Amino acid sequence: MATRRLTRSQQLQQTILYPLDWLEERSGLVGGVKYFLFRKVPGDINWFQTLGSAALTAFLVQALTGVILAMYYKPDPTIDPVTHLPVAYQSVTHITNDVFAGWLVRGMHRWGASVFIILMFLHMGRVFLFGAYKYPRELNWIIGVLILASGLGEGFTGYLLPWDQTAYWATVVGININGTAPFLGPFLAQFLQGGTYINADTLPRFYSIHMLLIPGALFALIGLHLYLVVRLGVTSPPWSKEAAGTGPLEPPSQNGRSGLVSPRARRRGR
Amino acid sequence: MQPPDEHPHVPGPSLWPVGVAIGIVVLLVGLIVSWYIAGIGALMAVVFGFLWVRDLTAGTALVHAPEVPPESPTGPALPAPAGGPAMPPAAPEERYPRAKFLELSTLGLGGVIGGIVTVPAVGFMVIPPFLKQGQKDHDLGPLSDYPQGKYVVATFTADASQGDVSRRTAYVRYNGQQNGLPSFTIISNHCAHLGCPVQPNGPLDPKGTKQFADVTLIPTVSIAGFGCPCHGGQYDTEGNRIAGPPVRALDRYSFSIRNGHLFLGRPFSVSHVDGSGATAVIHKWTQSFPGEPVNGIESWLYPVQPPH
Amino acid sequence: MPSDRLVERRRVFQQYKEDVKDRGKPFYPYAMFHDTVMSLVVVTVILGLAIIWKYTTPGNHHTTAAGWLGKLYDKPADPGTINFVPRPDWYFYFLFYLLRIFKWPHSVILGTIGIPTIALVLLLAIPFLDVRAERRLLRRPVAIVASILVVLSMGVLTYKGATAKEALGTELLAKVPSWAKKQGFSNNPTAIAGARLFAESGCLNCHTYLGTGGHNLGAPNLSAEGAKNKGIAFQISHLKCPACVNSGSPMPSFAGLGQANLTKLATFLEASKGGK
Repeated sequence: MATRRLTRSQQLQQTILYPLDWLEERSGLVGGVKYFLFRKVPGDINWFQTLGSAALTAFLVQALTGVILAMYYKPDPTIDPVTHLPVAYQSVTHITNDVFAGWLVRGMHRWGASVFIILMFLHMGRVFLFGAYKYPRELNWIIGVLILASGLGEGFTGYLLPWDQTAYWATVVGININGTAPFLGPFLAQFLQGGTYINADTLPRFYSIHMLLIPGALFALIGLHLYLVVRLGVTSPPWSKEAAGTGPLEPPSQNGRSGLVSPRARRRGR
Repeated sequence: MQPPDEHPHVPGPSLWPVGVAIGIVVLLVGLIVSWYIAGIGALMAVVFGFLWVRDLTAGTALVHAPEVPPESPTGPALPAPAGGPAMPPAAPEERYPRAKFLELSTLGLGGVIGGIVTVPAVGFMVIPPFLKQGQKDHDLGPLSDYPQGKYVVATFTADASQGDVSRRTAYVRYNGQQNGLPSFTIISNHCAHLGCPVQPNGPLDPKGTKQFADVTLIPTVSIAGFGCPCHGGQYDTEGNRIAGPPVRALDRYSFSIRNGHLFLGRPFSVSHVDGSGATAVIHKWTQSFPGEPVNGIESWLYPVQPPH
Repeated sequence: MPSDRLVERRRVFQQYKEDVKDRGKPFYPYAMFHDTVMSLVVVTVILGLAIIWKYTTPGNHHTTAAGWLGKLYDKPADPGTINFVPRPDWYFYFLFYLLRIFKWPHSVILGTIGIPTIALVLLLAIPFLDVRAERRLLRRPVAIVASILVVLSMGVLTYKGATAKEALGTELLAKVPSWAKKQGFSNNPTAIAGARLFAESGCLNCHTYLGTGGHNLGAPNLSAEGAKNKGIAFQISHLKCPACVNSGSPMPSFAGLGQANLTKLATFLEASKGGK
């Protein structure tokens, strides 16, 4: 035990470390976060590899703005007897025109959706061209495709919510497209619609799917996706000369199979 | 640092503190409700408190927690298998090990619990869209509102309790009398491709608009057919497809005449119509969603329609 | 007994893990810095788009008119409408246009369910279709060709979906003055009335005229119909019974419009000399 007084910076350090140590001893969370932050990644990774976290940022923007919008939006297609406008439509115009910064949050949510989808496609293209879906990352690719499908589903269900002409008719067509699936198509379409035609129950149904069902799936899938990225590691770009995993030079095509033949010899005796 | 305690000095199990706690609660409740109850609570707290203190000071006979003798009706416990956590293996002479019974009942009860929770909830989600579909006949106004041979664009609210979300448009044409009865052609305005609102190919006559309850009637001057703005489907004046991706003719409504008024009935799907006007032969099928062929080989893809 | 390929893969992956441990850099702050910069770009773009959407909407930013980025909201949903042109959100335009390509009714299911489902299944199956360990782009010709084709086709389909126009009556009526100017019949009220009838009667669902309209059933372009000098009487008799004049013509009869309206239409057609 030190007997001299601690310096100010040491005191500060102890003050910060004390609650972290308390938390770590009781939960192990701090260690987990440290592992995530300070894990090693290849030194030659590329800017293209930021597309995944960019998509995550866009998703988080959507989640946050979505939760806030839900405080003002009313999923009710019936007509308000006073204004003769559907209540849902009215709540959207109210958000856009009257609520402080409502236009901003709604605009961010609407355009965040487009940005999220674009980034997902770009990220998918990057992973494909880098060959980062190959062993042992196949499961991660599958989860990613499921995230893409869920994201598009969010776009489809969310589009109905403003309950204007564009929203209504695009949804009619989308539901009927689902209806053309063989055998179960008509049942799927009627389930989505909540009846034979779009009725007063359709909008709350879509709202529930958009707010709860698909986001729940998305959070779970994205969590799994990130866990696998941390566990399996990030790949180097395929053109990288210092690529991790290329190993010592192998003789080319000994038995006709093409493996990871290094383009040039690396340091001997590695 | 003190050496770790091998035998921490803890009192044995006892119910007296519980009695004290209950007594205190009863006392506090009694202060609000009635003095008798407060008295009973005080008495309970004191009596149990006395017993508890007597227990604590009963000497060092309870320094060690009493040893629980091993209960193994099957004999001495087997060593745990090497490796990670796993189900304990059964002893050799057991036919139906306790572990197995516990496993099966846990899974079984878990399944029952899952079923109790999810089956009604999922039923609530999935079943209502298929029940009580179909609407009552709708009054579209007096027969005199329908000039012969011209289509009228009729917009109405199919279900007043649902309100405007159930608004629909039908193209109605009075064909004159057939066998002594009025004949109408009533065509739905949902395209048979994917449900977009089909438009009349011809000018409307807004000056002749009539209103009856929730029904708005706008006559057309003359139309040469119907066209769909989404993907270019075209239909003739009987609703037959003449161009584009629609897979069948436009749906129609059945109708009835009561007290000189036209009543709109149930809709049905049409594969094609031969002839025109009052003498048209309409090939009817059960109402299907847009995009589903009703005859021909492709109709085998949709063998069952949900209740409409 | 694990196969040679599996043993090789595992060895390479082990090698990768060791290489990263030896020579890799910690995620924080090196890689995380890149991620943070990119995230800032993303958030700024979303913010910018939201601001542009609102503040370029005309009419004090409150109306259903369209600004640079489209409308803030349309009119309220009307299930009984007869003059609305449905469109999905822009990222579904490629699917939307696919549905316009598959015009043959028996092929509809290919466009709605068939192709998208096949595409999704292929996408899911990629790691199992491509089991080579090769990641260098120049040695993956199939991957490169496939990605170029996919990007190109989705781009083209999205663009065509965005520019697909329908011959909607109300939109076409607005074009009548410009037609009159181009064809030179602005001072002919009969021709103008005929032009309005032409716009409302769905003619442009099949015919094309001065750059608008659809191409259906082999209907000819009518921009220079008047230059053929067929005469008003011919036009009227054709409109009354197209198949009588042009045997086999799928064009329906417009006799129901009445002689007065048909004369107006015929005048308009004869005045359409081809535009300047």
